[in-house]
Amino acid sequence: MTLTHLNARGEASMVDVTDKSTTQREAVATGRIFMQPATLEQLVDGELPKGDVLATARIAGIQAAKRTHELIPLCHALMLSKVSVDFDIDRDTSSVGVRVMCRLAAQTGVEMEALTAASVACLTLYDMCKAVDRGMEIGEVRLERKSGGRSGEWQRRHEGEIHADTTADDDEILATPSKRHEAAPGSHQEAIEIRFFAELRERLGVAKLSVLPGQLSSPTLSALKMWVSERVSHPEALDQPRLLCAINHDMVQGDSALNAGDEVALFPPVTGG
Amino acid sequence: MIIIQQQPFDIGELHERVAGESTSLGAVVSFIGRVRDFNESPDVQALTLEHYPGMTEKALGSIVEQAQSRWRIERALVVHRIGYMVPGDNIVAVLTASSHRQDAFDACAFIMDYLKIRAPFWKKEHTASGAYWVRERGSDLASLSRWEQT
Repeated sequence: MTLTHLNARGEASMVDVTDKSTTQREAVATGRIFMQPATLEQLVDGELPKGDVLATARIAGIQAAKRTHELIPLCHALMLSKVSVDFDIDRDTSSVGVRVMCRLAAQTGVEMEALTAASVACLTLYDMCKAVDRGMEIGEVRLERKSGGRSGEWQRRHEGEIHADTTADDDEILATPSKRHEAAPGSHQEAIEIRFFAELRERLGVAKLSVLPGQLSSPTLSALKMWVSERVSHPEALDQPRLLCAINHDMVQGDSALNAGDEVALFPPVTGG
Repeated sequence: MIIIQQQPFDIGELHERVAGESTSLGAVVSFIGRVRDFNESPDVQALTLEHYPGMTEKALGSIVEQAQSRWRIERALVVHRIGYMVPGDNIVAVLTASSHRQDAFDACAFIMDYLKIRAPFWKKEHTASGAYWVRERGSDLASLSRWEQT
């Protein structure tokens, strides 16, 4: 694989796209900003001093997508045909998620536009809330999928499962629900819910997953861990000897049997008090 | 009683809640854990505390029950804060009340020792050079050995 932004001498150069075919291209990028629970409540209740936080961040994201070429040196100016910016509120992790979709018919991809929009939407969320919370943290900015062009379809591994769960029932969707809500087939009563906490959640990049017992090779904790490791982008995060596990809120040691409807949690050693 | 909250707590109020009007409680022991400005780094500016809602209450409730089965304590109260805190803030309070001081002392220490390794809380420390998740301490595990019954 060569880096197309470098010329033969290794210097930066803009890629000539004149001869690339014009195709329908689409990219989805996400980001997340973590804040104090109290800040999140103020944001949801519209009590922050600068006014409507999400509406402002949405406009900022759209503007950023349109002006990406002014910020990223070797990026082409594109005529975007569609930019959408959606938010989700996750009280479990006390964070706001941003999801940006950019679309156009052109000779070059739109992932930089989507990533820039997600970043600037997060930065605007920070700006709108910083009066009450300076310790907010922006993270998990990443491309989720892209389509069109020579490299064709690219998707973050097993995006379907992960998205189905970052928008689980208790998350409040504030903007246009996207198609990820339809991504979880099967009934919720039967599923085993899997939750991740603290550093493990951050390293895996996902807070919750759900699996139907029939999807596991056996109804056991070890099979469930195997299933998870095949679906996350950093499965090595699960390979720690002190990984703790709880089933239905009780800590368990070693392998254990699982039943439909169980809630399984995986987390690092606890550090409260 | 187990309370998980974001807001700061007032130890005077907690003491009132435990001791109340009772005239038979000869001893109330209270422990308060606070945010230190040095821990894994020498310059901790703040920490955020995350927990596992549902399991936290269950784990703490079971620890308090064990304490009540081992010592004569009339009342026990555990208050643990979550969210964002800065050095000097109170994080946790454990209060035990008994007719006599030794039961109250032992039960309070027992609850705190088990909270440290059984209750699903996680601390992330923030410093000028970045944030990191706090690692477990071997000494917390070791301190449990004193409660092992022979």
